[in-house]
Amino acid sequence: MSNDAHIVIEGVDMVYEGGERPLRALTGIDITVGRGEFVSIIGPSGCGKTTLLRVVGGLQEPTAGRVLIDGRPPRQAQRDKQIGFVFQDPSLLPWRSVIENVRLPLQVNRRESSGSKDPEGLIDLVGLREFGRYYPHQLSGGMQQRVALARSFVTSPSVLLMDEPFGALDEITRSAMRFELMRVWRSDVAPDCTVVFVTHSIAEAVLLSDRVIVMSTQPGCVAATLDIDLPRPRGEATEETQQFVDYTRRLRGLLREHALV
Amino acid sequence: MSLETSRTGVGTSSREDTRPPAGRPRPPRLAAWLRDAAAQAIPAVIGLALGFAAWEAWIEIKDVKPYLVPAPSSVVDRLYQDPWFFTLEGLKTLEGALLGFLLGAAVAILLASLMSQARFLERSIFPLAILIKVTPIVAIAPLLTIWFGFGLMPKVFIAALIVFFPIMVNALIGFRSVNPNSLALLESLSASRFEVFWRLRLPSSLPYLFAAFRFSVPLSVIGAVVAEWFSGDRGLGSVIYIANYNLDMQTAFAGVFMLAILGVALFLLTAEAERRVLFWHESNWAD
Repeated sequence: MSNDAHIVIEGVDMVYEGGERPLRALTGIDITVGRGEFVSIIGPSGCGKTTLLRVVGGLQEPTAGRVLIDGRPPRQAQRDKQIGFVFQDPSLLPWRSVIENVRLPLQVNRRESSGSKDPEGLIDLVGLREFGRYYPHQLSGGMQQRVALARSFVTSPSVLLMDEPFGALDEITRSAMRFELMRVWRSDVAPDCTVVFVTHSIAEAVLLSDRVIVMSTQPGCVAATLDIDLPRPRGEATEETQQFVDYTRRLRGLLREHALV
Repeated sequence: MSLETSRTGVGTSSREDTRPPAGRPRPPRLAAWLRDAAAQAIPAVIGLALGFAAWEAWIEIKDVKPYLVPAPSSVVDRLYQDPWFFTLEGLKTLEGALLGFLLGAAVAILLASLMSQARFLERSIFPLAILIKVTPIVAIAPLLTIWFGFGLMPKVFIAALIVFFPIMVNALIGFRSVNPNSLALLESLSASRFEVFWRLRLPSSLPYLFAAFRFSVPLSVIGAVVAEWFSGDRGLGSVIYIANYNLDMQTAFAGVFMLAILGVALFLLTAEAERRVLFWHESNWAD
């Protein structure tokens, strides 16, 4: 992991007009994410985590401030297919088979993305080799989310934005998917891929991240930051180390201090 | 050694068995298909037979005159006398109905796709569509005969008018009913408006479109018959009209029977097409 800034978020405000009074969703967000860094954003419901992720991905324009990815606005990164998204629901197209779903990002916006990946190989990598011809409704929720993961890597994005991707899964599948994500992220499929990961889970944030950002609510702002200095690769054994337990305790303390309303 | 092999064998096969078959569902084998069809058809046939028996008995007991209501047996006799006549006239009606359906559906889907792109277009097109909807078709049918003469054109036009509105409304709802995250995904890849429409909005609308097709296909037959009524060219509509005029109730009812058969056949065909196209939609999952 190098230290150069990959994503720069500068003074981002987000105000929704139109209600009885304007709703301040985000205020004064300043975050810099290094290339290849894994950053988690944790906070209570309604703290604007999802809005922030959408602003970083160029899906929404902030009311004030700006986001730069490699020094360029997110829309330009979109055009080069440099942004991968994974949502809480797999949002696969039900009329497309697994392989066709993974291929979708290569088909839209005909611009060549540098280093697009072979969909077959990605399906193989997420352990669904035999399921390429299946349709989403024939798969379990966990398998569908693996397809979404494979799809997000197919354009070889430099930025991966994940909005509670494992939030709808059962605990056993969740745990397996965390290791699955780390395995794919650290493989040569995604060299130097920067991840911004929104979560509700303290353990998940500590296990996956290089850095955890705690947001507080009304309006959403950065309340605290915690660097996670656990050695990689991290596995199931990591979760039993004293260091891991200490980090989760500190993160829980930060959440209690800043983020509970 | 042999124990080892057999164990692996069992292991693999049971794993295969728990999985659903990959890909699109294959059409069921003929025997299974016939069994399903019979299971659905038999109750319907029993119901129809009872209805016809009651009708026949009523005519017998009350001695109803054949120029008022014919007995179903005499209607079937009439069909037997002239099977080709009724089939050919039926095909004439079918031709007008299907061409009208295709025209109406094409225009409806095109306009809905335009409206789905901008509220401004919706506001300008929708009032026109409502105007067409509230105009009684029967009132303008004679006009169409004056404009387009006798023959195919008035039929196609009226059938198209009658199916246009329900298909347009459903198409518009369908184009708007997309998974917001799928939309966000396409936007995050800088997909063009056309790509969003083609890859997401159009397939998402198919369940809504088929719901509209289900009842607008039979509606198109009604449209064609109404047109034939006024423009007395050929087709079952004019057969019924002329037979009514001559108090030839057997022929009139034979025409009505043919129309009923046509309507049921079209409905079943639409349902089968829906089952095949929407294999991925929850409305078609086996429970």
